[in-house]
Amino acid sequence: MQTAKQWLDKIWQLPLSAPIRIMNVCGGHERSIAMAGLRDALPDSIDLIPGPGCPVCICPEQDIYQAIQLALHEDVTLVTFGDMLRVPVNVSRQNIRSLEQAKAAGADIRPIASPREAVAIARAAGGKKVVFFVAGFETTCAPVAGMLAEGIPDNLSLLMSGRLTWPAVAMLLDSAQPAFDALIAPGHVATVMGPEQWQFVVDRHGFPAAIAGFTPDSLLQAMYSVLRQHLEHKRFLDNCYTQVVKSGGNALARHLLDDTLKVVDAPWRGIGVIPASGLELQPAYAEHNARLHFPRHEEQARRFAGAMPPGCDCAKVVLGNIKPVQCRLYGEACTPRSPVGPCMVSDEGACRIWWASGIKER
Amino acid sequence: MCLAIPMQIASISGHTARCAIKGVERDASLFLLQDETVKVGDYVLIHVGYAIQIISEQQAHSTWDLLDQMPDA
Ligand code: SF4
Repeated sequence: MQTAKQWLDKIWQLPLSAPIRIMNVCGGHERSIAMAGLRDALPDSIDLIPGPGCPVCICPEQDIYQAIQLALHEDVTLVTFGDMLRVPVNVSRQNIRSLEQAKAAGADIRPIASPREAVAIARAAGGKKVVFFVAGFETTCAPVAGMLAEGIPDNLSLLMSGRLTWPAVAMLLDSAQPAFDALIAPGHVATVMGPEQWQFVVDRHGFPAAIAGFTPDSLLQAMYSVLRQHLEHKRFLDNCYTQVVKSGGNALARHLLDDTLKVVDAPWRGIGVIPASGLELQPAYAEHNARLHFPRHEEQARRFAGAMPPGCDCAKVVLGNIKPVQCRLYGEACTPRSPVGPCMVSDEGACRIWWASGIKER
Repeated sequence: MCLAIPMQIASISGHTARCAIKGVERDASLFLLQDETVKVGDYVLIHVGYAIQIISEQQAHSTWDLLDQMPDA
């Protein structure tokens, strides 16, 4: 095992002449990079780009709106991961704009940290309906699949906004001008789904790719790998997190995901529909599908439905087209204390991570 | 939300494990690791209350060191 310092030295010794952009697609990676100050430690020719690594940031605005309306107008308890509470929807300021505001207005909304809590709350609810609003990538959806397979109470239903990470990367690679030259693939997604899912980056697109863990040494090892692949014109998917990421991933978790959730075309907030990128309940779980059992609360012609908040550049940040500091609102109108967009709300949003790591200058 | 945390298993009852990390104890589900042999004393990676993988002690320690350095993880 080499230390972060040793990997850094090896990177500095590479004959890098032209600039190269390395994208990560995991909020955990971005946080490690920002907290360890890797951008400052690496040669200037290496540009580290945060990509689509935040499920809260791209959770459809319509789904959050629906969750708010369910909590306000139906006789339910709504549970969701804590990060979702402060994400704003696009309604005028006189209206309730987030789950947090709905909770303050008296709706029964409870932040949870695990699907197990959703089950426990439903069991203790005395028959009252409980809706679990789920935003998350594969690592979160696998536990949700486990929860479903283990069996859930009749009064628990799910508003599923699960998303898959690789189709977003595939969309970027299929676009005319991807904003990156090499990819660091997400370690915990690969832990569950297997490293093989990322093989297409190399095989189909000829991009250097490596799977990384979350410590600086693992991230730097992966960066060194993609840089060498780039310089030597050799491509292979390098698993730099072999201690945890095993071939095939967690086979049982994948099997349970297939059994309980189905892959659907799905919207990403501010970005649009990405084919085969969403996870919805399988028909066998229709009784627990909140989309089928509650009226859809959507005002016709609500302005900016589905979009990022007006003025917020989160969609561009998520796609790697701009850095958080390039948003006009970063650190001005938009801070973690009063976030304008989801990327400043979520712990995995690039704007919040950059701000928390002390990047205050625009 | 995507950050998984390593913990050590203190006891197991059915699909539930009592896990510990530096004096903090929590229950986690072993449902996704049913096909593995998980024992008391093993280290597991836990995400939203579910163990998703068995890991080595050394891997657990390096991740804890990382978490210690993070202000708001
Ligand atoms: S700084 Fe705020 S407004 Fe700008 S992109 Fe980030 S979250 Fe959106």
